[in-house]
Amino acid sequence: MSERSPDDIDRPEVSNTSRRCFLKRSAQLAGGIALAIQPLAPALAAEAKPAAPAPAPAAKKPEDRMKYLFVQREHCTGCRSCEFACSQFHEKGIVRPGVARIHVKRFHGVVDIPVICWHCEDSPCVKACPTNPKAIAKDKDTNIINYIDDKTCLGAKCNKCIEACPANFLRRHPETGKPMFCDLCDGDPHCVKACKAQAEDTAAAMRASKVGFGVNLAYRDVTPKEAAKALHTSLFYPNKDGERR
Amino acid sequence: MAEPKGGYFGKMLEVDLTAGKSTVRALDEAVLRDYIGGEGLGAYLLYKELPAKADPLSPANVFMMLTGPFNGTACPSARLNVSFKSPHTGIYGHSQVGGPIGNEIKWAGWDVVMLKGKSPKPVYIAIHNDKVEIRDASAVWGKDTYATEEFMKEDLKDDEYKTMVIGPAGEKQVYFSCIIVDRFRAAGRSGGGAVLGSKNVKGIAVKGTKAVPVVNVEAFNKAAKEAWDLGHNVEAWAGIKRWGTGGLMEFANYVSGSLVTKNYSTSWFADVNMIGGEEASRTFWKRHVSCPNCPIHCMKLGVVRTGGNYDGLIAEGPEYETGVMMGSNLGISDLDACMKGIETCDAMGLDTISTGNTIGFAMELMERGILTPADHDGMKLEWGNAETAIEMVNKIANKEGKAGALLSLGVKRMAEKIGKDSIKYAIHVKGQELAAHDPRGFKPRGVSYAMGQLGGCHHEGNSPEGQAIWAYLSSMVLCSFMAGVPWSKRNPGIVCDMLNPLTGWNTTPDEYWATAKRIITIMRSFNIREAGISRKDDVLPVRLRTEALPEGPKKGAVFTDEDTKKMQDDYYAYYGWDENGIPTEETLKKLKLDFTVADVRKKA
Repeated sequence: MSERSPDDIDRPEVSNTSRRCFLKRSAQLAGGIALAIQPLAPALAAEAKPAAPAPAPAAKKPEDRMKYLFVQREHCTGCRSCEFACSQFHEKGIVRPGVARIHVKRFHGVVDIPVICWHCEDSPCVKACPTNPKAIAKDKDTNIINYIDDKTCLGAKCNKCIEACPANFLRRHPETGKPMFCDLCDGDPHCVKACKAQAEDTAAAMRASKVGFGVNLAYRDVTPKEAAKALHTSLFYPNKDGERR
Repeated sequence: MAEPKGGYFGKMLEVDLTAGKSTVRALDEAVLRDYIGGEGLGAYLLYKELPAKADPLSPANVFMMLTGPFNGTACPSARLNVSFKSPHTGIYGHSQVGGPIGNEIKWAGWDVVMLKGKSPKPVYIAIHNDKVEIRDASAVWGKDTYATEEFMKEDLKDDEYKTMVIGPAGEKQVYFSCIIVDRFRAAGRSGGGAVLGSKNVKGIAVKGTKAVPVVNVEAFNKAAKEAWDLGHNVEAWAGIKRWGTGGLMEFANYVSGSLVTKNYSTSWFADVNMIGGEEASRTFWKRHVSCPNCPIHCMKLGVVRTGGNYDGLIAEGPEYETGVMMGSNLGISDLDACMKGIETCDAMGLDTISTGNTIGFAMELMERGILTPADHDGMKLEWGNAETAIEMVNKIANKEGKAGALLSLGVKRMAEKIGKDSIKYAIHVKGQELAAHDPRGFKPRGVSYAMGQLGGCHHEGNSPEGQAIWAYLSSMVLCSFMAGVPWSKRNPGIVCDMLNPLTGWNTTPDEYWATAKRIITIMRSFNIREAGISRKDDVLPVRLRTEALPEGPKKGAVFTDEDTKKMQDDYYAYYGWDENGIPTEETLKKLKLDFTVADVRKKA
């Protein structure tokens, strides 16, 4: 057993101030007693990352509509509130993640990746649709991909759009067999509004306002599997055998 | 028999492992309304289905996975309850576990999954909506929990299955083996892993795509949103979000004087800063992880990255219980080693609380010369020696050697076997090892340990009324961090506001309290029928009643005989039980528990 010396790692001394704040906080945490809150000295300064931009406000005018989803994957806690909200919007208030358009998958047992539609410029799914007329279309102005007439869709007899989807996003409806597309809730996505991942975490100023959705282009065009690998590699550290598990 | 209109499917899946067959059984709405689900329904079904005094590790035992009405709905943070007769304590055993599997069972269309009999070979059960398969698991028999999860997902060629598995400890039927969900979450207490192991079931994988019926969608969603907001906006919960329960370790040491240290010999651990929440957040944690639809994300995932023996170890914790039982309770002040201990328990499928308590007990016996390394495979267990402790965890899981065989008995059976003075240092109630809160420093916790129907469990409620609330919440299978403190000011109103539009019932607060008392009383009735539990069993361990805390903020505190008497009298009076702790005939009849009268009053 190796003893850790203080030199091994940057381990700041616990100052009296932060100790006191911590105890206060612990008291609240244990007893639920509201005490005055002092902002805590950020203990995690070394790990700090720039705060994510606030999510777009609810769309009111056509030019304010959200046209893409971006996922700040490293902030995702895997709570699946987005799935709950998505299905509630699309299923008349009923929770049913089995038919949610967004879904959160866990990879390597330790990272959660929200799988979203990229709303690709060239929409490979629409291109791949073999029927004439096509069953699906993308609205150029709103970026919404949806059925023109879902009776045209061949459902379980066809797999073209699912194969063509570069995001591995499309899933079949468990009963109809037809793929489910992201319509961005008509420009005001409910998944984004539901996401409170690590939000309003007042105890840690550095982590405040982090939510799982942002506007960073770097989060697009990466398949869920690649994203999981990247996140797994960046968060976790290999052991002596070079494995991360 | 009425079919429920909302909140439940009214269906129970019964798997007969001996015959390899599954059947669908209907659940009556009246029973669901009286027992709600989870812990309450589990106690009722166990009382009805289990032959009296059956051996918990025989095929006769019944293992149930129970959901509640709120699983799979917009209500936040629904979990899973497992119920069975405990091989560890011989009384009612149940455990709650977070993670996605509770909701998944519900979405597959089942309120309850019940396993009976014993499979002739190692199997796992795959449930995809109505399709139930019993599949071969010989390939992973003997493997750790993580490998088992991976195997099941690969074997099913679908990684969207949610899993619940046992490790080598469960296979070997260690009395305090647990069930692991999603690699890091454990249905820890009471030995559910051993029950699954005795049935040759390595795991259960579930995938569901159905929707839970709701009677009045709009009203239910409004109440569920309020419940979600209550949990999200509790100011005090900022700490839980930030440090998980690990942050309570410093609090317990410096403020409440209830940090369990060195087998309950003290509640002051000078090195708590080295293993507590702040240290973990500086050197270990990497991610916050949530249960379904929960904004609290109390689970912390981390990786050891400080160099040394355990570099690169990915583990979950330290939580308050795991960190204390594998840390200060063993005198370990190295966070990395503490995490290795916790991770080993998870991988092997051992309950961290009971494992830590048992090893701490053995360390103390060795310090006092009651146990010697010579009759312990030459292993020298001593405070702070983490490597030996971790080796010991592996030995317990495999019941390896003299040492493993002895410690896998748990504290109560060990003390009975060793005899001498060991009983003085054995910290258990009704055979269940106590968790990481010292009731001398925080006396209300004594009610949970001594009076709770599970034995020494920290999660049963800290007052008679508190236990009623917990019984109801555990029957709805909700999380204490969401439904406990955050809802406390709106309880039971918030529960009725959600339950009524969901199910179409008209539950009132009065019915809430009656149901809660019914649930506590049927658990007690089961314990009386199986093990003759009475007042004499509702006491804390000798050490906590006779030895005062030697140091720390609550120096000199002890759980006195007056404390014990008052606690018992208040409790029995609140529930309408007689002075010996046996429910009276009048109480039983009032609670619609007529079918238990013969068993219960026979003992009185």
